[in-house]
Amino acid sequence: MIWPLIKGLSVTFCHLFKPHVTVKYPYERREVSERYRGRHVLRRDEDGRERCCACGLCEEVCPAGAIKLYGKEDPEFKYSDVGKYAEYYAIDYARCIFCGLCVDACPRGAIEMTQDYELAVPGPGRAPLLKTKEWLLEKRGGE
Amino acid sequence: MLLAIVIAVIKMLILFAVLMLLVAYGTLAERKVSGHIQDRYGPLYCGPKALLQPFADGLKLFFKEDIVASRSDKFLYFLAPMIAIVPAILAIGVIPFGESVTLFGRKIPLVMTDINVAILYLLAVSSFSVYAIVFGGWSANSKYPLLGGLRSAAQFISYELILGLSIMGVLMIVGSFSLVDIVHYQRHMWMVVYQPLAFILYMIAATAELNRLPFDLPEAESELVGGYHTEYSSMKFAMFFLGEYANMVVTSAVAVCLFLGGWYSPVAFLAWIPGPIWFLIKVVVIFFFLLWVRWTYPRFRYDQLMGFSWKYLLPLSLLNIVATGGAMLFIVGGV
Repeated sequence: MIWPLIKGLSVTFCHLFKPHVTVKYPYERREVSERYRGRHVLRRDEDGRERCCACGLCEEVCPAGAIKLYGKEDPEFKYSDVGKYAEYYAIDYARCIFCGLCVDACPRGAIEMTQDYELAVPGPGRAPLLKTKEWLLEKRGGE
Repeated sequence: MLLAIVIAVIKMLILFAVLMLLVAYGTLAERKVSGHIQDRYGPLYCGPKALLQPFADGLKLFFKEDIVASRSDKFLYFLAPMIAIVPAILAIGVIPFGESVTLFGRKIPLVMTDINVAILYLLAVSSFSVYAIVFGGWSANSKYPLLGGLRSAAQFISYELILGLSIMGVLMIVGSFSLVDIVHYQRHMWMVVYQPLAFILYMIAATAELNRLPFDLPEAESELVGGYHTEYSSMKFAMFFLGEYANMVVTSAVAVCLFLGGWYSPVAFLAWIPGPIWFLIKVVVIFFFLLWVRWTYPRFRYDQLMGFSWKYLLPLSLLNIVATGGAMLFIVGGV
């Protein structure tokens, strides 16, 4: 009856000197997986035009209803190579569940997920979590 | 006469300051030890090695909103947190922490008062702390505190008995109620050698009196929210917390006086270290033991708690008294 009690005490005493599992987060960061599903990025093609053709499949498939986009015709092929592009594209990160279905649904590989997970914004209110194209579009060169 | 008062006041201030410092760093030690036992760090960033954490906690508690439950019994509701801390502060008055020193040709005993009924006084004062818990539980007019308070009352009565009876063996050997006499008796050999069973019983009963795991049923977080202090916030809550840790320090100090040779060094070649330092080291060791036990054992079920006290500890403590008496009669030859 006494022995298990002493054994228990010895176990906890040994744990006093074991290495910690804590990561001191803001000061050290854990490396995330290559396939980590972090925030989205809207990809560009070789010419720097947007890949998105505003088909709306991502909006359709999003289980959280976090994506909203409006397409617009682009007869001069200025913004994309198919003559149509998303004039307005927004992801509400207050709703997004980072499931990655939008990435799977996209026929042109226009939307991808990155390893960036630090999305918190100072409050109050959730409005800053609604991210539009300026923030989502892939940055290239001098932009 | 005036000088005597000045000396008494200085001793009082020092004792109080040391007690409060131990309480403050006791809370930090609890968090650190629990963290390390669970392979975490515990507090890290507040000052070097988180040494300012207790002050940050205190400051935070000061500025928290003080919520008073509207249908509570106001008088008892305000009285309970005050009672929580008083027993510990009263109890340090009789604890000797060193041999008397001679300063400016005056012999100053390192104890507030060496009264000849110190043990009785300690038992009387420490049983006061049950009022804090029962009043706190009753006055808040809420079901969880009430259940905590009721559990506490039953637990205190059961374990107070064991606490008193476990000390009896020591008193029989020393033949004095004065803590100073008891420590003097242990000049050459610690009392724990003569009374190992009593020491174990005392530690178990003391843990139960302190409402700490594995006997923390009065505040059992997972079943009673917070137990008797569920409805308290801000400094009132802090008073309960202070009381708990101050009681831990005092209980450790009493255990050191009764069983671990008070301020005497355990080995002769370390006798040059002053008595109060030895006393502090031993108190810290017992304090650590209390933390260690808390983060090792799970909580008792309520019927187990009562059964353990009445069916096992009470017969054992009575047996200890009979055995001590028999041994004194046959080996030493009379009291």
